[in-house]
Parts: sequence; structure tokens; C-alpha cells
Amino acid sequence: MAFAERMLKIDRRIIFLVIGLCTLLPLLYPVGLPIKISPEVRSVYDYIDKLPEGSVFLLSLDFDPASKPELHPQAIALLRHAFRKNLRVIAMTLWVSGTGMADQLVTQVAKETGKEKGKDYVFLGWSPGGSAVIINMGQDLYTSFPSDYNGKPTKGQPVLDGVQSLKDVSYAISLAAGNPGVEAWYVFGKDKYKFELGGGCTGVIAPGLYPLLRSGQINGLIGGLRGAAEYESLIGQKGRAVAGMDAQSVTHVAIVVLVVLCNIFYFSIRQQGRQQGQVR
Amino acid sequence: MMRRLTSVPVFLLPLTVSLLFPSVPNAQTSLPPPQSLDLYDTPSDGGGSLTVLWPAASYDGPDVRYQVLMAEGTTVTDPAAMKVVAEFPANRSLVQQTRLPWWTRKGEPTDHLFVIRSGKGIELKDGNGYSVAVATIRGDTRTFSPVMHATPQPNWFNWNEVNNLLIALSFGGLVFYTISQAKRRDIFLRRIPGLDAVDEAIGRSTELGKPILYLTGAHDMSDPSTIAAAVILGRVAKRTAAYETELMVPHRDPITMAVCQEITKQAYLEAGKPDLFKEDANFFITSDQFSYTAAVDGIMLRKKPAANFFMGAYFAESLLLTETGASTGAIQIAGTDSDHQLPFFVTTCDYTLIGEELYAASAYLSREPIQIGTLRGQDIGKAVLLTVIGVGTLLATVGVVFQMEWPQLFLDFFKDVK
Amino acid sequence: MIFLRRQVPLFITLITGLVFAAQYYVPHPSSELLLTSATKWLQIIGGFALVLGVTSLFHLHAVKIRRKEVGWGYSVVLYAGMLGTITVGLIAGGKESGADGVSTAFGWVYNFMMVPLQGTMFAILAFFIASAAYRSFRARSREAAVLLIAAVIVMMGRVPLGEYLIPLSGDVSQWILNVLNASVRRAILIGVSLGAVALSLKIIFGIERSYLGGGKE
Repeated sequence: MAFAERMLKIDRRIIFLVIGLCTLLPLLYPVGLPIKISPEVRSVYDYIDKLPEGSVFLLSLDFDPASKPELHPQAIALLRHAFRKNLRVIAMTLWVSGTGMADQLVTQVAKETGKEKGKDYVFLGWSPGGSAVIINMGQDLYTSFPSDYNGKPTKGQPVLDGVQSLKDVSYAISLAAGNPGVEAWYVFGKDKYKFELGGGCTGVIAPGLYPLLRSGQINGLIGGLRGAAEYESLIGQKGRAVAGMDAQSVTHVAIVVLVVLCNIFYFSIRQQGRQQGQVR
Repeated sequence: MMRRLTSVPVFLLPLTVSLLFPSVPNAQTSLPPPQSLDLYDTPSDGGGSLTVLWPAASYDGPDVRYQVLMAEGTTVTDPAAMKVVAEFPANRSLVQQTRLPWWTRKGEPTDHLFVIRSGKGIELKDGNGYSVAVATIRGDTRTFSPVMHATPQPNWFNWNEVNNLLIALSFGGLVFYTISQAKRRDIFLRRIPGLDAVDEAIGRSTELGKPILYLTGAHDMSDPSTIAAAVILGRVAKRTAAYETELMVPHRDPITMAVCQEITKQAYLEAGKPDLFKEDANFFITSDQFSYTAAVDGIMLRKKPAANFFMGAYFAESLLLTETGASTGAIQIAGTDSDHQLPFFVTTCDYTLIGEELYAASAYLSREPIQIGTLRGQDIGKAVLLTVIGVGTLLATVGVVFQMEWPQLFLDFFKDVK
Repeated sequence: MIFLRRQVPLFITLITGLVFAAQYYVPHPSSELLLTSATKWLQIIGGFALVLGVTSLFHLHAVKIRRKEVGWGYSVVLYAGMLGTITVGLIAGGKESGADGVSTAFGWVYNFMMVPLQGTMFAILAFFIASAAYRSFRARSREAAVLLIAAVIVMMGRVPLGEYLIPLSGDVSQWILNVLNASVRRAILIGVSLGAVALSLKIIFGIERSYLGGGKE
């Protein structure tokens, strides 16, 4: 078999090994290339930055552990920013399998920034129903979540003072790995109850949310690990996302090189085939 | 005791006054209050809201601000005793900045409009009267409009959405009309290559003596893509019954499984092979995304089906499923309206039904007038939208290139009617 | 029986479909209350559907164990895993950590089993993307070549190393995402939305009955 044919039929485990090394080595030996900030991430940052102190910020952590690498850094960066601006943070999730992770994440960032549960933030937890929860919260937050994740009644908590429903939220962001996610928050939330909405998502669904971004249905979009890295750069606290960008960079370049090579082999086989056809 | 000023010449009087009382501004003539204030119950809402409208003033400028003041009850007459509910610069809160469509919009585009709503420390109760005034502020000067009274009430119809209702009714009427047309005459449907491959895939499986794997997606029966997948399953099941090929349909949702079981049973009955129907051809695995994916990957690697069908809605598991299927050498046909997974299906599957081709597939396979008529109605709807987009793009281009204003009228019309 | 299995569900679908379609246009609080009540019922029924799913899973694997079918050992593992997780979950009250922040047994299962397993499955995607790209990203035709070039530009433009190697790739990939990608997604969205509306109308008016199961009568 010709070299090109052998290369095209290469065992996929070799490709897996190449990708594995391209991911692992930059994590062990980071370089730290500069990250350019995109307008869609800056929109989210600017909006939060301009919110007055004490404004109500709702963060819906609509993802499970599978999407942790991309959305966890986004959540940490947003919470750090919100706590720095002394906003009142309401965190929740529409994905049951992400509840524990969401609670740990919010508690960790709150502890790091010296924020008090019940006074500066609350984690409402999960309620069944997906988009039904959003509709119910739009009418009355306390019937959807009579108690927070730790069982404490939500009514009477200082952080929820003056908040009756989603209409009282200054800004909401959904960090989504799928459905229910940003689209559900727009259709059942912003469209009905008229609060400002931003989005964060995994890299694979980000292109699908650009129509919502371009039409102003969401005011900004943090897409994938790149978006998280941009946000970390904006708040001046670099974390896992910026660290992961080196690995993602090398992996992307590796895939591009593989694709280019496969096309070179493909065209050389096609060329050989044509030449053999001409000789006959 | 005041000194008489009759001996002072008249022309010196203003100078004398300004020298005697230098700090008194001439407020009454330099900053008039807002005129022609109109206060009314906000239309087309669920109550708890009042709208105040007043025309722009000649003195509106960067140094002018407006305050909206409110008090409970209709007996309040002194605006200075009211609570300030909003304050904004004179270039904000204009009618042209609101998102109201032209058929419900009141006032001129340059008029000021402010909607007082319940929430954020304000509560307006339906049926209770409220007093509202507007103050103009420039520097240290503040003047008040007359106090107006109104009562918020809930409404039974949202006139702002009447365009939506008309479009929905029109589209619905169009679909029913095209269905009735399809019952009377043949309507042409273009070939969808992916569907032609269905027979090829089933035939290939039969020749190889290997089973067929059919997936119905991640969503439940309330999703149109799952319904379309179930309809196509009916057609596939009929063919597999006729060719006596094994069919495996793992599910993520128990209700979908129950429905697909009935569909498969019916298909075998219609194919005249009821004895070949297996109850456990449709089986439930789990609703967890990656557990389901791992289980199906295991089935693919063990049973090595010759044909894999991925119909319905998919998420991150799509590439895990299709790449594993490709490694077993199976022919793969996908159909999904999950546009974020389309790139993965297109690269790893032999044929892909994109977006509404999935919905069209059920019509193409069944040739039922209802299905075909619906497809025709959708196509006409798309043609209308395409025409509007085309005309709108042309008008916007003409307006920008030739610096004309009249195209904007049409563009505003399209924007509101959408 | 046919009346209960066919006509009654169709009638319920018609009435509820029309009522909730109309609800969108009625802003009155009683309409909102109707929607809130219905969504609360949906939440309750959603909880029951979970029970249905678990029961179905138990039944399926019980049959497999009883008949000692191929792979029945894995069914035993599934039983052990499910019952174990349910037990520790009930004991911990569904909480991953106690009031003092100490992880419960349920939290241990969540943090050291569920999180790594889910993360592993998602991580496999990176490898599969590479092998799928190597196998399929070939410029077989002009359209495939255009797709390939766009993919390379976007892949390079979305990472700092790519922007460093090809400085224009960042801006070009932004343009591709904001203009080309957004317009195509919009087109697919319009088509899918029209299809969904048409299908919903057919379901409400009983023209589409396949969701009830069975064929024509």
C-alpha cells in the first residue's frame, strides 16, 4: 500500500495520542499568549460593570459536570466580578445533575470574596420543570423556590429584599450547556418579564446563539473556554480558562495540521489515480 | 419698612431688582413646566401600570432632566409632596425609543413617554387611583406640571401582539388550505437524497444479515423532532418487517418508548408480519445523556449493526454516537433540527437531513396528503418571508446608498409587523 | 375503549392547545394564573415521569438478570449502583455536603464518581473530533473546499496561538461567525420554526395523531 494510502488509513489511536499530548504538554508547560477580547464578551462585562451597587444579578448555572471545563471558569469569573461590584447574587440551576457542583462553586467564590450567604448571595438550588420554573419565577419567585438549597426559607432573606419575581432582576445570565438554556430564558423569561439577559455557553452551541445576539435578544455572549478566558482577562484575575487556552491553542493547530496532511495525502492519491488512468 | 421706589426710573427697575435680590432666578419665564401631560392606564397589559405622555419642549437639552412623581390616591394636589419614581435626561424616554408598534403607539415620536410599573420599590394596585406629575429640572430650578389622576386596570387583550396573532392565524389557515389542496391533487416533492438512502440502508442490512439501529433523539414526545422521528420509524419498521431484518430502537424517554412500541407494532401489522414483531425491539436505557451514549456505543460495538439511523434532537452525544458507528463500518443516516450538531452529523454520516428536511421526511415517505399539504404550506410561508427579507434588504440598501428617508417607513413597518 | 384511547386525548389536546395558544395574547392576571397553575402541574407530572423512567429501567434489567441474558452481570452492577446511590441520597437528604461543609456519602458519590465519569465522556469528544476531522475533512468538491477553508480560519481565529500565527484569522473568524454563520442559522431557525408551528397546529387540531401510537383507523 502506498505511503499516502497507509497514512489515510492510520489507526485512530495514533491521532488520539497526538491530541492527548497536545492537550497535556501545554498544561504542564504553559506559555501564556495574549488574548484578544471580543465585543460580545465585552458587552456582558460592561453591563455588569455599570450596574449600581446592590442591584440584583441572577446567575442560572444550567450545566452538568460534563460541561464543567468550559462553563465552570465562566461562572467563577462572573461571580468574582459580581461580588466585586457588590451586587446581590441569586444563583440557581435548571439542571438537576449540576446542582451539587453549582452549590460548591458559588460557596467557593463567595468564601474567597468574603460574601455572606443570605445577605450578599443565595443559592436557590434546582426545581423540576425546566422552562416551567422560569415562568413561575416570573410570577412569584417564592412559590418556585420557597426555600433555598440549604432549606432556609427564601422569604425574608436580606439578599432577596424587594425581589418578588423576575421583573425585579436587574440582569440575568444563563450559562447553558444545552436545553433548557439561554433560549428558554429568553422565550419564557425576558420576552415575558422584560429583564436584561446575557448568555454563556459551551463552544459548540455558541454559533447557534449568534442570531439571538445580533438581534439584541441577548446583550452579550460568553462562548466556550475562549469566552471564559476573555472574561478572566477583563476582570484581571486569570484562572483555569486562560491556563486552558494554551492547550486549546495547540490542539486546534494540531487538528488543522492533521486536516492539511490528510488533504495532501488525499490529493496525492487522486493525482496518482489520474496518472495511472492516463498511462493505461 | 420698604422704601418707595417711585423715584427710580422705570428702565432701571430690573437692574435695581437684580442688585437688591441677586440670588432669585427668574424661574417662571426661563423654565416652564411640562405641558399637555396625559396620564392613562397602560393599554394591553396585565394591570399594575400607568403611562404618562407629554410633548417635547423647546428647552429640552443636555442640561435638562425630567422627574416623574407619584402618590397614592387622587386627592394629592401638591407635586412637591409626591415620591420621585424616576429621573432621566431630556433626551431619554422618547416615544421613538419605545418598542411599541405603530398601531398602539400614542403621541409623536419626539414626545416623552414613561411607563410606571409595579416592582423595584413601587407598587401599583389595580382599581386604586394614583396621582402623577412630571417635573422639569435645570440646574437648581424645578418646575412641576399639573397633577393628573388615573387608575391602573388589567386588560383582556394584548393589542401589541395582534400582528403575531394575525400571522399565526394566516399561517394556520394557509396550512389547512394546502392540506385540502393536497387531498384533491398531486403536489410535487423534490427528492431528498437521505431518504432515498433509507431503502438502500435497510437492503444492505438484510444482505449482511445484521440488525438496524434506530435512535429517536434526546427529547420527549412533546418535541416536533421526536414526533418526526417516530413517524419515520413507522416507515422504517414497515420495511424491516417486509425484509425480516432485526430492528433495535434504544430510547432515552419511557413515554417515547411506549409510543414507538405502538408504532412499530402497527407497522409490522400493516406489513403482514405481526408474528415477527418483538416487544423488546424498543427498549428503554436511561434518560442520562452520557450513560445512554455509552450504552448505545456498546450496542454498536457488540452487535455491529449495518445501518444506523439518528433521527430527532441531539446534543453533545451526537459525535460520540456517529464516530463509534462509523468505526464499525455501518451506513449512517441522520436527521436533526439541532443545528449545533449538524456539522458533526454532516462529517460523519453518509446522509444528513438538515433542519426541516426531517419534518419533510415523514411527508416524503408516507405520501399522505396531510403531510404533503403541510409541507407546501410551510414552503409558501418561507417564500413570503424570503420576499419580505429581499424587499427589506433592497430598501435598506437604497436608503443608505442614495441617502433617502422614505425606505425607512417600510422598514419600520416590517419591524413592527414581524 | 377506542373512545378513551383516541377521542378523549384528541379532545383534551384540542382544548388545551387552543386555550394556551390564546393565553399568550391575554395579559390579564387570570390568564397568567392559568399558565402558572398549568406549569406547576407540569412540574409535578415531570416528577412522576422520573418514577416511570426508573421503574422501567428496574423492570428491564430485572428481566435480564432473571433470564441470565448476555451481559446480565452489568445489570447487577446497575442495580447495585442505583440502589446504593438512592440509599445514600436518602440518608443525606439529597445534599452533597452538610451544614458544616463536610461532604456526605452522597456528595462523595457525586464528586468522585458522577463528575469524573461525565467529564470523561465529554472529554472523549476532543479525540473523536480529531479523528472525524482527519477522516472526513477532505476537499472532495468545491463546496467541501470552501467548508474546509472556513473551518481552518475559524479554528485558528478562536485561539491565541492561531491569532498569533495568522493575525487576520481573529477578525475574519469573527466576521464568519457574525455574518455568514448568523444568517445561515437564522435561515435554519426560520425553517425549523415554521415546521414546528405547522406540526403543533396539526397536533392541536387532531390531524397528526402518530404521537398517540398506532396507525390510521
